[in-house]
Amino acid sequence: MPMTPSALDRPALLAALRARIARLERGAPGPAPAPVPLCEALESALPQGGLARGGLHDLTFPPEEAAGAATGFAAVLLGRAGGTVFWIAEEPDAWPPGLARFGLDPALLVLVRAKGADALWAMEEVLRSPAAAGALLALARPLDLTAERRLMLAAQTGGGIGLLLRPEAEEAPGVALTRWRVASLPGRGASRHDLGDPRWRLELLRCRGGRPGTWVLSWSASAGALRVEEDAGDEARRRRA
Amino acid sequence: MRRRCCAPPRLALPEPPPRRAPPCAMAETAGRLADRRILALHLPRFAAEGFGEGPLLVWRAEGSRRVVLAADAAAEALGVRPGQMLADAQAIAPAVRAEAETPDAHAARLAALALWALRFTPLAATDPPDGLLLDITGCAHLAGGEQALLERAVAGLAALGHAAQGAVAGTPEAAAALARAGFGGIVPAGGEAAALAPLSPLLLRLPEATVSALSRVGLRSIGEVLAQPRAPLARRFGAGLLAVLDAATGRIATPIRPIRPPPELAAARDLAEPIITREAIDALVALLLPELCAALDRAGRGLRRLTLRAHRVDGAVQEIAIGAGAATRDAAHLSRLLAQRLERLEPGFGFDRLALLAERTEPLAPGQRAIGAAAEDLSPLLDRLAQRVVLWRARPRPGHWPERAVERVPPQAPVAAPPGWPARPRPVRLLRRPDPVEAMALLPDAPPRRLFWRGAWRSVDAAEGPERIEPEWWRDAPGRSPRDYYRIACAGGVRLWVCAVGRGAERRWFVHGVDA
Repeated sequence: MPMTPSALDRPALLAALRARIARLERGAPGPAPAPVPLCEALESALPQGGLARGGLHDLTFPPEEAAGAATGFAAVLLGRAGGTVFWIAEEPDAWPPGLARFGLDPALLVLVRAKGADALWAMEEVLRSPAAAGALLALARPLDLTAERRLMLAAQTGGGIGLLLRPEAEEAPGVALTRWRVASLPGRGASRHDLGDPRWRLELLRCRGGRPGTWVLSWSASAGALRVEEDAGDEARRRRA
Repeated sequence: MRRRCCAPPRLALPEPPPRRAPPCAMAETAGRLADRRILALHLPRFAAEGFGEGPLLVWRAEGSRRVVLAADAAAEALGVRPGQMLADAQAIAPAVRAEAETPDAHAARLAALALWALRFTPLAATDPPDGLLLDITGCAHLAGGEQALLERAVAGLAALGHAAQGAVAGTPEAAAALARAGFGGIVPAGGEAAALAPLSPLLLRLPEATVSALSRVGLRSIGEVLAQPRAPLARRFGAGLLAVLDAATGRIATPIRPIRPPPELAAARDLAEPIITREAIDALVALLLPELCAALDRAGRGLRRLTLRAHRVDGAVQEIAIGAGAATRDAAHLSRLLAQRLERLEPGFGFDRLALLAERTEPLAPGQRAIGAAAEDLSPLLDRLAQRVVLWRARPRPGHWPERAVERVPPQAPVAAPPGWPARPRPVRLLRRPDPVEAMALLPDAPPRRLFWRGAWRSVDAAEGPERIEPEWWRDAPGRSPRDYYRIACAGGVRLWVCAVGRGAERRWFVHGVDA
């Protein structure tokens, strides 16, 4: 029997297609798999009432910050994905002792060191597998459309959440379901010797079928919950636009 | 002259019956080892064969002398012989090219040849400087008998351009000695002593001093030495001689050191027509893998490490290894893992043999796959990733030193965080190397007020700390200074984990982590 290289992938392809059909069948009568819960104010802005599974989400951060706030937010999302998640980066400096405070259990975290094409390949493999609940790919610059579309298709097949963590760049069209911007805000500690809970300004820049918005959030590690302090609202957003 | 001064040889005295006894006993002991069959191949011109077109000779410096080590057939026809002085050889045949020996390249070529010989048996060893030893126990019938196997091996070497002679015997030493003597045949089990009898002891690679001492007392063949009583031999020539003789006759078993460890299970195909295309290789692998997996299934074992060994027509051998994080014998999964690596094969003029070798296996009960389906689900993905990228899990360690708070474990390993871990707030990112920064603090032990990091001065709004972390004295070099860690919040809200090392004027600051 002549076999082509792609035919060797046939078992995986079949498994993925079966998973997809099962999901479609499940999805036909009832709702799609429950999205990743966030908090009330955010959920109301998102069409599916949470961060949709089976898709890509862009997380951007101001380049002058060192991705701290975005990392914390990504940890919250991955920790709530409910399964094994992968952290793919050229130098994965994500540190489980810190991530644990944001609800990401080290038992569910696999760190992957890969760069360039290998990183994209790893991300695609992970997203395509139904066994992984989510994956994060740390990037230095935005992906090109083809690669992003490929990852999107993989995520649709596997049903996990795919996060692209990258510094903010010029606004460009993308395939991702949502695009977020996460920036840090000064904490509200009681004194100079208390940092207080982490506070972030979270902007939903783009969202398919949703409403962009800006929120000021704080993360309470003890409660394990995101809290919206104020709805910076659409006015600010509109003013900028 | 000196010979006459020697003490009279007292060795030849014993009468015939005890003289015959040791060989008989040897034959009996050899009966135990009769299972073992060794094919030795001797390449008399091997040293001269790596330098391209001849006529040429290879020389070696022995002290101040330059001695001919080997010569190719053309040079030997002109009168060059191994052992000649280089000057003599060049006088006899000025047209012959002279090359200095290259021991490393020579050893590498011999090892490559041993890999080539893996096509005959899974146990092939080099026998430096110019021989190969193949343990063909139980393999000969595949080639149609020992004689046929011997002829195939010699013909195969000839096709690669190596002059070779071989012999099959029950012990490596005997087979090698017979091959060096150009015996070219089969010695039946237990017949080593008889076959070696007419040969010179030099062929057993005995030290030259021992051989000349033996010949001084009139023992010029192995048979004559074997006929002597053992105790005087040992007394006079040392135990080394007896050890070599015993090994050669099979009284003691000596192992050979195979170039690759033998696989636990294997599936292989010899091809009449070499294959070049990826499709053909894929098809053959698709044929061999189920075979190997079925064998694993019968053995109740799962695979942890699989090697694909491809023998090229020109004698080169290429290997691809894949590892599985958990024991598996799922042909589809293994074929996907292999497919990622197959592109590294360089077929050249084609492969004429492919072998799949199960290098490491673990017990895997048939029913085991169904249990813990979720965990099992992930392992194919982890295996696929591990073929191309580095991945690990971070397992919490009891330790305060930041770099050692977690350790890397394989992704399949279970990881559990103790409750309440970590005890103190820690940053979400830990820089691999702490970033040295310029910082201004008002008091010696106070947190910094301003910090120059990544091209900008940042003023510090709030700080928690210090948290002093002492080095692990039981691991670190003595005198490593403790670190004072501060969690700081800069004006824009960026949170950093900074540490100070040293005291007073020597206090240096580093950014070690970024917090959310």
